[in-house]
Amino acid sequence: MEAGALTLPHGGGHDEHHGPPPANRSSRVDAPTLGMLLFIISEIMVFGAFFTAYFFIRVVQGAEWPAEGTHLPQAIAGVNTAILLSSSLTMHWTVMAAKADNRAGMRAGIFTTALLGFTFLFIQINEYVHIGFSPSDSAQGSIFYGLTGLHGAHVFIGLMLLCFVAIRVFRGHFSSAHHRGLEIPGIYWHFVDIMWVVVFTTVYIL
Amino acid sequence: MVVGGVVASAVGIALALAIDWFPTLASTQAGKVHTLYDVLLIASVPIFVLVLTVVIGAVIQFRMRPGQEDQDGPPIHGNTLLEVVWTAVPALLILGLCAYSYVVLRDIEEAPASERQEMTIGVTGQQFAWTFTYPKEIAGGEKPLSTTELVLPVDRPVKFDIQAKDVIHDFWVPEFSVKLDAVPGITTSYRITPDRRGTYPVVCAELCGLGHSVMRSRVRVVTPDEFDAWLQEQSQPAVPEGADESQLAAAGKQVFAGSAGCGACHTLADAGTNGQIGPDLDEVLKGVSEDKIRTDIVDPEAEIAEGYGAGVMPTNFEQTLSASELDALVAYLKEATQ
Amino acid sequence: MSLRAPGFPRAGLGILLAVALAYGLVIGVRALYGWDPVLDGDAVLQVALIAAPFGFFIGFGLFDYWFRWASGAPTVPEEHSSHGARSWKDYFRVNTDHKVIGIQYVVTSFFFLLVGGMFAMLVRAELAQPGMQFVNPNAYNGLFSVHASILIFLFIIPVFAGFANYVLPLMIGAPDMAFPRLNALSYWMLPVAGIMMLASFLAPGGSFSTGWTAYAPLSTEAPIGQVFFTIGVQFAGASSIATALNFLVTIITMRAPGMSFFRMPLLVWANFSTSLLVVIATPFIAASQFFVLLERALGFNFFEVTRGGDVLMYQHVFWFYSHPAVYIMMLPGFGIISEILAVKSRKPIFGYRMMAFSLLAIVVLGFTVWAHHMFVSGMQEWIRVPMMITTAVIAVPTGIKIFSWLATLWKGVLHLDTPMLFALGFVTMFTLGGISGVMLAMIPFTIHVSDTYFIVAHIHYVLFGGSLFTIFAGAYYWFPKMTGRMYDERLGKLHFWTTFVGFNLTFAPMHLIGIEGMPRRVADYAQEFAGWNLFISIASFVVGLSTLVFVYNMVVSWRAGIRAPANPWKALTLEWQVSSPPPIFNFDTIPTVVGGPYEYGVPGAVHGVFKGAEVKTTATPAGAAPVGD
Ligand code: HEA
Ligand code: HEA
Ligand code: HEC
Ligand code: CUA
Ligand SMILES: [Cu+2]
Repeated sequence: MEAGALTLPHGGGHDEHHGPPPANRSSRVDAPTLGMLLFIISEIMVFGAFFTAYFFIRVVQGAEWPAEGTHLPQAIAGVNTAILLSSSLTMHWTVMAAKADNRAGMRAGIFTTALLGFTFLFIQINEYVHIGFSPSDSAQGSIFYGLTGLHGAHVFIGLMLLCFVAIRVFRGHFSSAHHRGLEIPGIYWHFVDIMWVVVFTTVYIL
Repeated sequence: MVVGGVVASAVGIALALAIDWFPTLASTQAGKVHTLYDVLLIASVPIFVLVLTVVIGAVIQFRMRPGQEDQDGPPIHGNTLLEVVWTAVPALLILGLCAYSYVVLRDIEEAPASERQEMTIGVTGQQFAWTFTYPKEIAGGEKPLSTTELVLPVDRPVKFDIQAKDVIHDFWVPEFSVKLDAVPGITTSYRITPDRRGTYPVVCAELCGLGHSVMRSRVRVVTPDEFDAWLQEQSQPAVPEGADESQLAAAGKQVFAGSAGCGACHTLADAGTNGQIGPDLDEVLKGVSEDKIRTDIVDPEAEIAEGYGAGVMPTNFEQTLSASELDALVAYLKEATQ
Repeated sequence: MSLRAPGFPRAGLGILLAVALAYGLVIGVRALYGWDPVLDGDAVLQVALIAAPFGFFIGFGLFDYWFRWASGAPTVPEEHSSHGARSWKDYFRVNTDHKVIGIQYVVTSFFFLLVGGMFAMLVRAELAQPGMQFVNPNAYNGLFSVHASILIFLFIIPVFAGFANYVLPLMIGAPDMAFPRLNALSYWMLPVAGIMMLASFLAPGGSFSTGWTAYAPLSTEAPIGQVFFTIGVQFAGASSIATALNFLVTIITMRAPGMSFFRMPLLVWANFSTSLLVVIATPFIAASQFFVLLERALGFNFFEVTRGGDVLMYQHVFWFYSHPAVYIMMLPGFGIISEILAVKSRKPIFGYRMMAFSLLAIVVLGFTVWAHHMFVSGMQEWIRVPMMITTAVIAVPTGIKIFSWLATLWKGVLHLDTPMLFALGFVTMFTLGGISGVMLAMIPFTIHVSDTYFIVAHIHYVLFGGSLFTIFAGAYYWFPKMTGRMYDERLGKLHFWTTFVGFNLTFAPMHLIGIEGMPRRVADYAQEFAGWNLFISIASFVVGLSTLVFVYNMVVSWRAGIRAPANPWKALTLEWQVSSPPPIFNFDTIPTVVGGPYEYGVPGAVHGVFKGAEVKTTATPAGAAPVGD
């Protein structure tokens, strides 16, 4: 078959020199923010599925928590929680600084946020190394690594975003007039932090 | 059109009820499920006929005729009364059906009035065979009786305690109309009361791997006397003491094609089976020693035949076959394949 | 051929590098931990299956823009270089035009229909007689598993996304989707998922063969072919989530002035509801397959009973997605039918608002019924009755839709051409499938028929008589818009009648043999079912051949059909107010919406007007004057 014989849509004939007409804005929310919020809904559901697994093993099966002979380092995780939560605060300051056109503040803010994030991840990995059980030991172990690992992966993605944003912050791309590119990764970062509080509570505290 | 619809509904219901949908009804539960199905048919046929009648009626009455190419229909946007009716009527119908189903569900799951009458039988699913375990109170021996064939006395309620050894299976006798998954790690159970003598298939209804379609056995529903006689027989060796070679082999053929169900997976010309899941025994057993055949049967994992996967052939034949049955089987295989 | 510019050569290189990375990673990690052997083929395969698609995406150029963004380079305003198609080659590169992506989607999905249907033909050939004829039991299990997975994840779900991609922005008066680059990425994930599922046949031990449901622990113990499903589904799922997100944002933020929610065509409503389902539910199947993957690859114990795992948890998580998924596979079809019935009956949709609300009701109820797939699973008994009630209640909103469509037909002027025939076929056949669904909700009856051919009958009445009929209807209906040509009406009608008759002969007897006791997913069956099975197999070949009529019609008409006018159906919705096919940026100016989308029969009614174009408010009965060509 000679494919060229197909009538291809948009095959010319039309005036193609102009760009598209600007779309009508039918909502006050802007598209990227809305997209991020919807994405976060999806993310919450991924966590929801892992919490379902947690629920089935801990509540339905009534398994001992944590598994017999193991111990969860609540104190260290508690400190880690504080670290992550404070990074939410610094993230907020960064955005405030951008809105106030405070360049130095913005830089300091994004730098501390990322640093706190990396610290969290480092402590988490260190905890894995010393915790004394592996995911293949028991279902409880699987859930523990599943939930904290899933969250860890999100922290990692969040950190990547923060690094990308940091480059722009240091290049001075953001200002009071233009800070959406900072705000949206910020929303994601806050989500990651809040999610940690839920994970921390269910896994370590309850 | 209304008349047409009513007539069509009546005819449709009559036809639907006339069709012989169910297999033989062999338990008290099956009868109730059948009645429920009849009620569902009576409720649903008119709905389907209604939709069909309106569509056909509209096509006949309102199809575009020559000259109508540019015409439009009347701009009707809705009618509240109609919309309320077609929300409320199905809702009521649905709730009615749910209520009736609930009653039937309670009925078929109800425990018998006197618990002592009820017999509890263990059912174990494993890739790809069923094992039935009669507790020793019933079997009358020192230890529980394990078989590959299920035998039930008629009219006596039974409760199956179902377990799985590897993956999920599902224990179903179509004639009893009840099924339930066998789930690794938990014991599930259901009750039935067989009320009709006969031989019915036991089917595994949950995909459990490549032998799923051959994971079958059978259930015999017999009179209480026959049941007792069967139990008696089970405690005797299957093959008479001191049987000669040919008697032994004949008994072995019975086991091969019948209760052990080897033929489902293996081809063996002498027994007339043509299973495709395991090796063709006519070919692979030529010149193989009796000892080797015995290990192949009781411990198939010990040596996996080339080109086949591990974990397919059941590993429980040592438990489900009596020692004499095993002897007979080995003797038979030796004889039939040399 | 350049390895630096985005395109297939660079994509090939990307795949190679990804495979090399997989080897390196596995060898490195295993050597580090001192595991023996250092090279583990299964592990490499699993890593490669995850990495290779990314190698492809990066090489193909899907991430170029984002990499530039990530590196802090200035974000340039869209220069539209990747927009539109001037030759067929433009369909084989990263394209951000929603119309091109729509066609890419639809054509790819129809290709997978043929592949998935071909597997069904093999299934039916094997089942024509009891005993084993053509394939061994393992291959048989693979056939129906791949059949179902391909048709669900690579046909029904994406083809709806494809139609919506094409017409939805036009319908709401938007120049494109909200995130065109994400849109392109969503599309390119599909062929990846499809090829992966098909490639499973090359895996040692055969393709995945645990059904499309992949229940643990069967799937965690199955041969390596299983991971092609486990990972393939992740890409298909990510693709649907990304598209759904895109639709939601487009619908919410980019409607034309005057297009209030209650002036949106029902197709838009349907995709809005579907997208909500996708965004909320799809992560669950992703997670269920993560569990399987973690268990297989890293020795986790979610389902390992001896270590405290819970087998039924898989089913709860799986069905919490997969029940909503059946509405993901049906609601867009409801939208298509609403468009077609209104236009072809020349009447407004009866009860427009209830139509929209019933969609939302189905979305909400859809999340409350998952355990009706588990009535015989051995789960807690108390869950069953509440689930029975919620399940059956879904018949109410669905009934509202069916009855409203019937009322739409009533007193109309019915144009009985191919799209309309498929729409009417849908209304009747879906009702039948839905009613058998309500029967299935009744627990004592399901206990008897679950896992039998009665279920197979239900599946195909709702998916084939339901979804596929709406897809055929939509394909014919928008064919002129998408290709600029008319399809052959005679062949279309032939296609409809052979499909309709063949379909019923194939799937209606399955109700009977199911109740009589034939289990599903078996390669071999009892002698008593031989007669019906032979009958079914023969009928199914009729369906197969009828599909070829469709393919022939589409290909030949696309090449040589007569030119389509802008608005051959005299429809009011916006996509018909531009040329066929539409101009590259859809509109010269964004239209203004001044009325409902289905005001047929209302004298002088228009849905949208274009600034500059003269608005005729005189006696044209319906269908605004075509603008454009
Ligand atoms: C497009 C896909 C689709 C759709 C729309 C549906 C719709 C419905 N399904 Fe179906 N279903 C599947 C696809 C679908 N299903 C698949 C693929 C499986 C098998 C999965 C597997 O195991 O592989 C399945 C399995 C399945 C089961 C599990 C059976 C089992 O495995 O034991 C059940 C049980 O309740 C069920 C019920 C229903 C119900 C109640 C509806 C309702 O939504 C139907 C509502 C519609 C109507 C009722 C018709 C119109 C209404 C009227 C005209 C009003 C009046 C009607 C009445 C009062 C009755 N379905
Ligand atoms: C999404 C929708 C969908 C569609 C469209 C179909 C279409 C078909 N299906 Fe399928 N099916 C499912 C979804 C679907 N199915 C699902 C979800 C299952 C459950 C799987 C499971 O248990 O896990 C299933 C299971 C299933 C089974 C049960 C298998 C078993 O349990 O053992 C059978 C058996 O007959 C079957 C048959 C068919 C047939 C004959 C068609 C036909 O309509 C196909 C027609 C189309 C074509 C044939 C393609 C076009 C033609 C060609 C490419 C040319 C070749 C033609 C010839 C050689 C004549 N399907
Ligand atoms: C569900 C399928 C299945 C059933 C039932 C089954 N087998 Fe097998 N059998 C297999 C498979 C698969 C193999 C090859 C793999 C292996 O060696 O374990 C096999 C292997 C064998 C072998 C070894 C063949 C060789 O090449 O050495 C013998 C002997 C045998 N089976 C006998 C029997 C007998 C006797 C029975 C009944 C009591 C039986 N099998 C029941 C599937 C089955
Ligand atoms: Cu056991 Cu199927
Ligand atoms: Cu469902």
